Amino acid sequence: MNIVFGIWLALVAMTQAAGLDFKETLKELHAPADVKKVSADFEFTNRSDKPVNVSKYESTCSCMSVSIKEGKLRYAPGESGVVRAEFDMGNFSGVVDKVVALWLDNAPADKPSLSLTVRVHIPVLVNMEPKTLKWNLGGPADPQKIRITMNHTKPIRVSSVSSSSEAFKTELKTIEEGKLYELMVTPLEINNQGLAVIRMETDCDLAKHRIQQAFAVIRKPSPAETAPKP
Amino acid sequence: MNSVAQLAVIAAISMAAAGGTYLVKGPPKRLLHCDPATLKPDELCLEAIPVDADVVWVDARKRADWEKNGVPGSLLWNLDADEDMQALEAEAAVRIAMNPKVVVYCSDENCGVSRQVAERIRALGLGAEVFVLRGGWRALSEAGRVKVSSADKVSGP
Repeated sequence: MNIVFGIWLALVAMTQAAGLDFKETLKELHAPADVKKVSADFEFTNRSDKPVNVSKYESTCSCMSVSIKEGKLRYAPGESGVVRAEFDMGNFSGVVDKVVALWLDNAPADKPSLSLTVRVHIPVLVNMEPKTLKWNLGGPADPQKIRITMNHTKPIRVSSVSSSSEAFKTELKTIEEGKLYELMVTPLEINNQGLAVIRMETDCDLAKHRIQQAFAVIRKPSPAETAPKP
Repeated sequence: MNSVAQLAVIAAISMAAAGGTYLVKGPPKRLLHCDPATLKPDELCLEAIPVDADVVWVDARKRADWEKNGVPGSLLWNLDADEDMQALEAEAAVRIAMNPKVVVYCSDENCGVSRQVAERIRALGLGAEVFVLRGGWRALSEAGRVKVSSADKVSGP
C-alpha cells in the first residue's frame, strides 16, 4: 500500500513540477502547407501554496521563440498563465519535435524544472520515393523507378523533368493525373562513377514545393555489399 | 583588531578583487564539456574527430555565419526559408556521394537544426554515415578549429 502511495506521489510531483500544473506538456500542431509560423499555448496554474517564479525559459531550437503571457514571471498560489511557443516553419518538413525548457525558482542551470514539447506535423505535398537510385559500377544498367505522390488538396501536375547528366535517360509515366506518377531512370553509361541530379518541376501553387529533385548514382559497391553472404 | 574584524576585512578585500576582475575580464568563461556517456547514438564529441579527418562538414547555421567562420571546406545546409533548399541539397549530395562520412554542426548544443539536417541527409539514401557534433560551432571555436574574431558570438541556429 505504501509503495502504491509513493508511486502516486511521484507521479503527481512530475506533472506539477515545483507547483506549476500544466494542462498539457505535449502539443501537437498540424500546420497548413502555406503558413510560415505556428504557435502553441501551454496553459498552467500554480497549484502550490506559495508563489512560484519562472527564473528562465528557453527553446532548444533557434527556429522557435518562447514567451510568457504579458511577461509575467511570478505566480501567486492559484494564479494561471500561458507559455507560448512560436515555431518558424522555415524549410522544415515532416514531423518535428521542439522542446521548451523552463526553470522555476532556484533550479540549477543544467537541470530545467520541466520541459514542454511542441510536435509540428508539416505536410509533404510532393513525395519522391526513393530519393536516390543506385547502380553498381560495371553492373547491370536496369531501369529503376521513383514513385511520385502528390498529397495536396488540389492536383499537382509534373510539368517537366530534367537530368544534370546525359548519362541517364528519364521517362515520366502518369499513373493518375495530378496525384501519382512514376519516373523511370536508366543509366546509359555504367562504367564510370557519377551522380546526376534529376529535377522535376510541378505546377504546385506553393513555391516552396514547386521544384523537387532526386539523385541517380553509379558507384562502387561498398565492401559490405560485395561480401559473400553466409 | 579582533579576529572577526580581521575576517571581515579579508572578505571585503577578496570581494573587491573578485568584482574588479569581473569588471575588467568579464564573467567567467564556461567551457563546453562533452561527456561521451551522455551522447545520443548519432552524436560525436569533437575530440573523436581528428583535425585531419576526411569528413564532409555541414554547417547548419545561417549563411552569414557560415561565410564568416564556418569550418574551411564545409557545406552550408540550413533550413532557413530564404535558402534554395534544392541547391543546398544538390551540392551536398554531390559531395556526400564522394565521401559518405558527414558531421553536421549548428551554433551550439541548443540550436537543434543540425539534427534535422542530419535526418535529411540520411533521407537522401546515399548510404552516408551522418553524425551531429555535440556543442556545435561553439565546440569547434573553443578547440581553435575555426577562425574566431572577438566580435563572434554564438547566435542561432
